[in-house]
Amino acid sequence: MNPRKYLTVYKKFLHTSLASELEYKTNILIDLITAILSLIGSIFLLSIFFQNSGIIGGWEFEEALIIQGIYTILNGITNTWFNPNLTEIVKHIREGTLDFVLLKPIDSQFFISFKKINPSGFLEVILGIFLLIFCIKINQIDLNLSFLILSLITIICSICILYSLWFFISTTTIWFVKTWNATEVLRSFLYIGRFPLNSFSFSLRIFFSVFIPIAFITTIPSEVFLGLSQSWKILLEVIVTLLFLITSRKFWLFALKFYTSASS
Amino acid sequence: MVQNIIEVRNLSKSFDIASKEPGLKGTIKHFFRRQTKRLKVIKDISFEIKEGEIVGFLGANGAGKTTILKMLCGLIYPSEGSILVSGYLPYRRKENFLKNITLIMGQKQQLIWDLPPIESFYLNASIYDLDKFEAKKRIKKLSEMLEIDEELYIPVRKLSLGQRMKSELLAALIHEPNILFLDEPTLGLDINAQRNLRKFLQKYNNETNATICLTSHYMKDITSLCKRVICVHEGAISYDGKLDLLLKKLSPVKEVLIVCRSEDDAIKLENSNFTVKNKIKNEITIKIENNSITSSLKTILNNFDIEDLFINEPPIDEIIGKVLIKKDYDV
Amino acid sequence: MMFNLINRKIFTLLKVQYSNMLEYRVEIALWAISGIIPFFMLNIWTNNNLNESINISDVMLSRYFLCAFFVRQFSVVWVVFSFEEDSLMGKVSPYLIQPLNPFLRYFAQHLAEQITRFPFALIIAFFFFIFNPESIWIPKLGLLLLSIVSTFLSFLIQFLIQSIVACLCFWTEKASSIERLIFIPTLFLSGLLAPVVSFPEYVKSWIYLTPFPYLIDFPANLLSGNETNISGGLSMQIIWILLLFPVFRKIWSSGTKKYTAMGS
Repeated sequence: MNPRKYLTVYKKFLHTSLASELEYKTNILIDLITAILSLIGSIFLLSIFFQNSGIIGGWEFEEALIIQGIYTILNGITNTWFNPNLTEIVKHIREGTLDFVLLKPIDSQFFISFKKINPSGFLEVILGIFLLIFCIKINQIDLNLSFLILSLITIICSICILYSLWFFISTTTIWFVKTWNATEVLRSFLYIGRFPLNSFSFSLRIFFSVFIPIAFITTIPSEVFLGLSQSWKILLEVIVTLLFLITSRKFWLFALKFYTSASS
Repeated sequence: MVQNIIEVRNLSKSFDIASKEPGLKGTIKHFFRRQTKRLKVIKDISFEIKEGEIVGFLGANGAGKTTILKMLCGLIYPSEGSILVSGYLPYRRKENFLKNITLIMGQKQQLIWDLPPIESFYLNASIYDLDKFEAKKRIKKLSEMLEIDEELYIPVRKLSLGQRMKSELLAALIHEPNILFLDEPTLGLDINAQRNLRKFLQKYNNETNATICLTSHYMKDITSLCKRVICVHEGAISYDGKLDLLLKKLSPVKEVLIVCRSEDDAIKLENSNFTVKNKIKNEITIKIENNSITSSLKTILNNFDIEDLFINEPPIDEIIGKVLIKKDYDV
Repeated sequence: MMFNLINRKIFTLLKVQYSNMLEYRVEIALWAISGIIPFFMLNIWTNNNLNESINISDVMLSRYFLCAFFVRQFSVVWVVFSFEEDSLMGKVSPYLIQPLNPFLRYFAQHLAEQITRFPFALIIAFFFFIFNPESIWIPKLGLLLLSIVSTFLSFLIQFLIQSIVACLCFWTEKASSIERLIFIPTLFLSGLLAPVVSFPEYVKSWIYLTPFPYLIDFPANLLSGNETNISGGLSMQIIWILLLFPVFRKIWSSGTKKYTAMGS
C-alpha cells in the first residue's frame, strides 16, 4: 500500500472521468437544471407540510431546512460519486471486464469505487452548502471550532455510511447481475432522509434507525448543527460508520472469492 | 538451460452448475429448490512452459481453454493441484506477480470508450507505478512496433476494430510484462489486421523473450506463431508437443493427383501397387505415405507418361478439427 | 382488417413479453417495493395531524395514498431507458426493418410488466391493510372501472411523453437525462407525495392546466372515492393524449429519417 501511488492514480481517475463526461456537455447542463428543480421541489413539499403547522416532529421550518441542505449534499455526492461507479461495476460484470480490474496491481475496491466521477452532482453539493450557510444565518447558529469539527465529523460519517450501503449493493451484482433495481429500493428509502426522523410514527422510526440507518445519515448531523445532539449519539454514529465500512470491505473480499472460484 | 516459467501439476477445477428445466414449470421449480450439479471442467492436467516459448491452446468451444488461461493468471481459484507462474501462486494476485503478466481478451476491452487511447495508457502507467518519462518512452516504442500513431489521439469509440485492438495491446503491454496471456486476440479482425497482430507478437517475443500463451480459433494464428501446442479436450490434455509432429501424425498420407497423357497409362497406374482414391478418365488420385513420397514419385515419373501432377496437402483446419473432437493423441 | 392484424400482433407480442417479464419477477418485485414512498408520506401527514387543515380525514387520506401507490404502479413508464440501451447496443436497426413500430413492442412490454407486477402490488396492499385496517373499503363498481380507464389514460400520457423523449436519442446520445429532468415536476406535482388539494393557491391556480395532476392525483381520487371532477379530469386526459400523439408521430418520422440518412 503506497499512498503516493494511490494519489496519482486517483488524479488520473479524476482527469479521465471528467474528460469523458465533458464529451456530453448538454447532458451536464440538463443535470444541473434537474438538480435545481429537485431542490425547489423538496422545499415546496416541505412548505406544504408546514403551511398549516408551525412544528413537525419537534422541528420548525427553518430547522427542517438544515436536513434538506444535508440531504442535498449527500444526494449530490451520490450522483457524482456512487451512482456512476455503480453503473460501471454493473458494466464490468455484465461484459466480463472485471477480470482486467482484478489483474491490476492495485486494490480492486479502490479501483471500482473511485474510477468514475460525474461532475453534474457538484452543483447539488454546492447548492446544499449554500442552503446550510443560509440556515446557519436564519437559525442564528454560533460558529465555533467545536461546532465545525463535530459537524464535519458527522457529515463525513454519513458519507461513509452511504458509501458502504452503495458499495454493498454494488457487490451483490457479482451474484445477481441486475442489482440496478435494488438501488431503486434503497433510493426510495433514502428519500425519507429529507424529513426529520421524529415526524414519523414510532415503528417507522425504529425501522429507519435499525435496518436502514437513515437516522444516522441526515438527522444526527442536523442535530449537531442545531447544537442538540448529545455526545453519545455522535460516538454511536462513528462506531456505526466503522462497522459499516469494515463490513462492506469484508463482504467485497468474500464476493471476490466467490467470483474467482465460480466464474468461467 | 532455459527455466520453466509456468509449472502446472495435477490441476483440476470443478464448478457447481445450476440446472433448470425449461418453461414456466421449470422456472418455478428452480425458484424453490435449486438443483446444482458439480461439473469437473478441468481434469487433472499437468504441463510446463519454458521462458520465451509461444504456446497455443487448442480446443473446441467449452473445452476448458479459457478456464486454464484464467487459472494461470489468477482469476480462477484451482480446485485441486498446483500452479506456479514465475515463482508465484497466481490466485494470490500479489502485486509483483501482477506486474509480470498481462491478459488480453479479444472481445473485451479495457480502454475508456469516450477518450483517446493515450489517456488510458497514462492511467495504466500510473497504476503500474511508471513515471511519466518512462511511460512516454514505452508508448513511443510500442506504438512504433504496432504501427499506430494518430489513432492514439482519437476517441476509442471512433476507432475501427483493428485500431482498437492495437491500442488494447499497447495498454496491456505498457508495464512490459514477461508473460502474455491472450484469449482469442484476433477475434473479429480482418485478414490484414490478423496478420499484423501475429507479426507484432512474433516481434515482441523475439525482442523481449516474453512467454506467450494464446488460444485462438484461427488456425493461422497457431501455425504461424506456435511451435508447441496443447490440445484440450473436455478438460483434459489430449496432446502436448510440437505442432509439426502433430500434423505429421495426423496426416500420414498425401494425396497426389496425376494427369496421364493417355488413359492407358492411367489404367496401368491403377493396376500397380499404389492406393488409388479415384480415377476419372486419364486423371487419377493416389495416396502416398509421407515418408516415401519422393521415392514413389520418382518411380511414377520414370515409368509412366505424365502430363501434370498436383500434391494436395490436407487443409490444416480439417486436421485440427479432428484433434478437437478426439480424445487422445500419442506421438 | 387492418385493425385485426394489429390486434393479433399486439396479442402475440403481449404473450411473448409476459413470459419474458416473468423471468424478471425479482426485479419487478423490487420495483414494486421501491414505489412505497406514498406510504411514508401518509405517515408524515397523519402522524403530525397535517390533514386536519385540508379537511381530509385520516381514513380518506390513507385510501388516497394507497390509490396513489396503485396508480403509480400501473402507470410507471421506462421506455426511454430501454430505447436508449437498445440504440446504444445497435438493436434499433433490426427493429426498423420490421413492419411494426418498435414503440408498439415497448408498449407490449410495459403492459406485460404491469400484469407481472399486479400480484406484488396486491401483496403490498395487503400489508398496508394489516397496518391500517380501518381504511379497508370496497370501491363502487362504476368508479372502479372509471379509475382503471383513467389510470390507463395516465399511463398513455406518460408513455407518449417518454416516447417523445426517447426519440431524442436520434439526436443526442443520452436522452435519459432529459427524462430525469421531466421526472422532477412529475414527482412533486402529480400528487404522489401530497394530494393536489393541499397545494397552496398560487400553484393550484395553474396546475390543472398542466398534465401533472391527471397522472396520479385524479385517478387516485377517483378510486379512493375522494371528491373530484370526473368528466373534467377524463376530458383533460384525453385532450393531452390527442395533443401528444401527433407530436410523437412527427418526432418519430423525422427521427427515423435522420437515422437512416446518417446510416449509423
